[in-house]
Amino acid sequence: MSDAMTDPLLAEIVGPTPGQLLRRRIFGHQGLLIGGTVVALLVLVAIFAPLLAPHDPYAQSLMARMKPPVFLGGTWEHPLGTDHLGRDYLSRLIYGARVSLMIGLVAAVISGLIGSVMGICAGYFGGKVDAVVTFLINVRLAMPVVLVALAVVAILGGSLTVMVSVLGLLLWDRFAVVLRASTRQVREREYVAAAKSIGASTPRILLAEILPNIVNNLIVVVTLEMAHAILLEAALSFLGLGVQPPTPSWGLMVSEGKNMMLFEPWLVMIPGTVLFVLVLGINLMGDGLRDVAAPENRS
Amino acid sequence: MTHSVSLKMTIAALALSVAAGEAMADKASGTLYAGFTKELENVDSYFNSSREGVVMQRAIWDGLIYRDPITNEYKGNLAESWTWVDDTTLEFKLRQGITFHNGEPFNADDVVYTVNFVADESNGVKTQRNVNWMKSAEKIDDYTVRIYLKEKFPAAIEFLSGPVSIYPNEYYAEVGPSGMGLKPVGTGPYKAVEVVPGQHFVLEKNENYHDSPKGQPSIEKVDIRTIPDVNTQIAELFSGSLDLIWQVPADQAQKLEQMGQFTVANESTMRVGYISMDAAGRSSMDPNPFTDVRVRKAVNYAIDRQAIVDNLLKGKSILVNTPCFPSQFGCVQDVTVYDYNPEKAKALLAEAGYPDGFETDLYAYRNRDYAEAVISFLGEVGIKVNLKYMQYSAIRELNMKGEVPFNFSTWGSYSINDASAMVSQFFKLGSLDDARDEGVAADLATADTSTDPATRIEYYTKALQRITDQAYWVPLFSYNTNYVFKTDVDYTPTPDEVLRFTTMSWK
Repeated sequence: MSDAMTDPLLAEIVGPTPGQLLRRRIFGHQGLLIGGTVVALLVLVAIFAPLLAPHDPYAQSLMARMKPPVFLGGTWEHPLGTDHLGRDYLSRLIYGARVSLMIGLVAAVISGLIGSVMGICAGYFGGKVDAVVTFLINVRLAMPVVLVALAVVAILGGSLTVMVSVLGLLLWDRFAVVLRASTRQVREREYVAAAKSIGASTPRILLAEILPNIVNNLIVVVTLEMAHAILLEAALSFLGLGVQPPTPSWGLMVSEGKNMMLFEPWLVMIPGTVLFVLVLGINLMGDGLRDVAAPENRS
Repeated sequence: MTHSVSLKMTIAALALSVAAGEAMADKASGTLYAGFTKELENVDSYFNSSREGVVMQRAIWDGLIYRDPITNEYKGNLAESWTWVDDTTLEFKLRQGITFHNGEPFNADDVVYTVNFVADESNGVKTQRNVNWMKSAEKIDDYTVRIYLKEKFPAAIEFLSGPVSIYPNEYYAEVGPSGMGLKPVGTGPYKAVEVVPGQHFVLEKNENYHDSPKGQPSIEKVDIRTIPDVNTQIAELFSGSLDLIWQVPADQAQKLEQMGQFTVANESTMRVGYISMDAAGRSSMDPNPFTDVRVRKAVNYAIDRQAIVDNLLKGKSILVNTPCFPSQFGCVQDVTVYDYNPEKAKALLAEAGYPDGFETDLYAYRNRDYAEAVISFLGEVGIKVNLKYMQYSAIRELNMKGEVPFNFSTWGSYSINDASAMVSQFFKLGSLDDARDEGVAADLATADTSTDPATRIEYYTKALQRITDQAYWVPLFSYNTNYVFKTDVDYTPTPDEVLRFTTMSWK
């Protein structure tokens, strides 16, 4: 190896190591870098919210309502201004990152587990299993997500737990559809036949042969659904049926600022922009990860 | 600087988006364009409970009596005079020569028909309390009528000057409530010439309006459109397609006033905001802290009502210390008052066995920001409150079953200037009574039915003092309404939350 490093001719023959290749693919992918940085930053913000927030996000001060942010003539006491109850906007935004990321992550994990198991089983076993799964997917696709979520929230009341469970139990369809199709492709490959011929058990084939070769698709769907769940939470909270006040949620902040939109547009623009940046970041990252992890790009 | 630029841009964009295809409203057109946020439930005023319906009712119909909203003096409207024959019989001499909008002459038959129709419970008048104190009416001659009451009811004159309007008997018998809802006919200062439910109503000046204490209408035509979103209403005001909007939230009204292009008038209303607590322990909450008077007092002490009034409601809102509006007859204010004192609240909670506070649900149907402010104040003394934000009808239904432990609500008393319209509505052991205090109910029963004003005051005072001593409610504040209109409109709003087109004119 050290020879390869020193001797350019040898290096050319041997080629870069897999680690080098991976690094090159990651750092050569702009979208992945930007998306990854945005998401990583917001995750850090969410984790260290108590350290970063300048004020208690719940502390109201009716005397200091709707103070403008610094760039519109406000003071550094409240860099992003205050909301309609005099709560610090920056602090609420920082704590709101927790709500959004938590909902995105947990909803994607729950729906990912349900959808992946269904999709892989349907794709690998085919026949009756496939028929049942396809039927379930069709049933699920026939239900409009927002309406079902609204109905459930209306019956059970809005809370973080209800939101996460509802979204998790509703957003598995894309996992199932995508993984079913990719499993069917991979199932016919030689290495699967080879594994079968040496007597590997079905779980082993599924976990060691199938899963690693479809994981790139899984990653894309995970990020798509994360972004989807975050947007749905914001939409439901905007409608007043999501996370309940005073919990800081970006959708709720947009909803609360809506009434003053004509006179204080920043009340809507600030949480709206952050929401946009997070969703864009997650999508860019997912796209990049797919490119990096795709088997056809590995060499 | 940047701030005002961005404001102007937003306004311009919004104005552009709505200006297309709208008639310009101004003095020259002779038509006043007004915007309402809510749709009418029903134009027939007996089948409506919305504020917008009350506004229409006062424009299209007349009652026998009229209460001057400024002096509170009762004047004859369709009646020339009235006398109490005995405690339960009222006799009216009717005004002659009045005709309905469709040409039908007004006489005793119309009064008898209307009263007998609405007093019959099976006809399903929406708010029974407005009419169920009347037993029947009888014609003495063409212009003399007697109304018989079920029992003594001293607020009768007040109700007759408010929700009880007189319908044309022949027309109403023919078309019924649904016909009246589509093509309303009355004797009032304005005729309804176009009714498109959910879109707009066009009222036209009644040229033959009788010499009524309401005054003569001046504005030719009024076009009222339903525009649910306040921001859209304001944008239309900017673009010139609306002349008048009302019920504008305090923050927006303040900004509009700063702009200096419109008249912003603020008037108090009879609507009172309050928090009721499950003092009788009807809800499934276990243990129920609200059954302890110390906890109820702590809740009273914990909320800084003055800060909410000063910063959120603003305008002519005032603190209210009783479950009624101070201008209402019998609504004495000489009661126990709980000023903001979080330390005392904490001490009372500790004494009641909740040193770390407790958790409960607060039900609310409007003003989520006020509810949030209240929740935040309660949080500071250790009471953790989850907000349950629902439709009014849903909460009312739960409340009737006694399943609401903690409720932020409001009551507008139908603008009836008598304490019975509020306190008796909630403390006489009815399904909405959370306190279920038999002493209070008995005092209220005496006060409601006595014809001697001194006795009424005495018993209302007793009841209200007991209610506040026991801290059954947290009476919060009165509401106000902001009216925003173009500077060429001349109008002075009245404190009863009724928009009167008759008193409007062009400058």
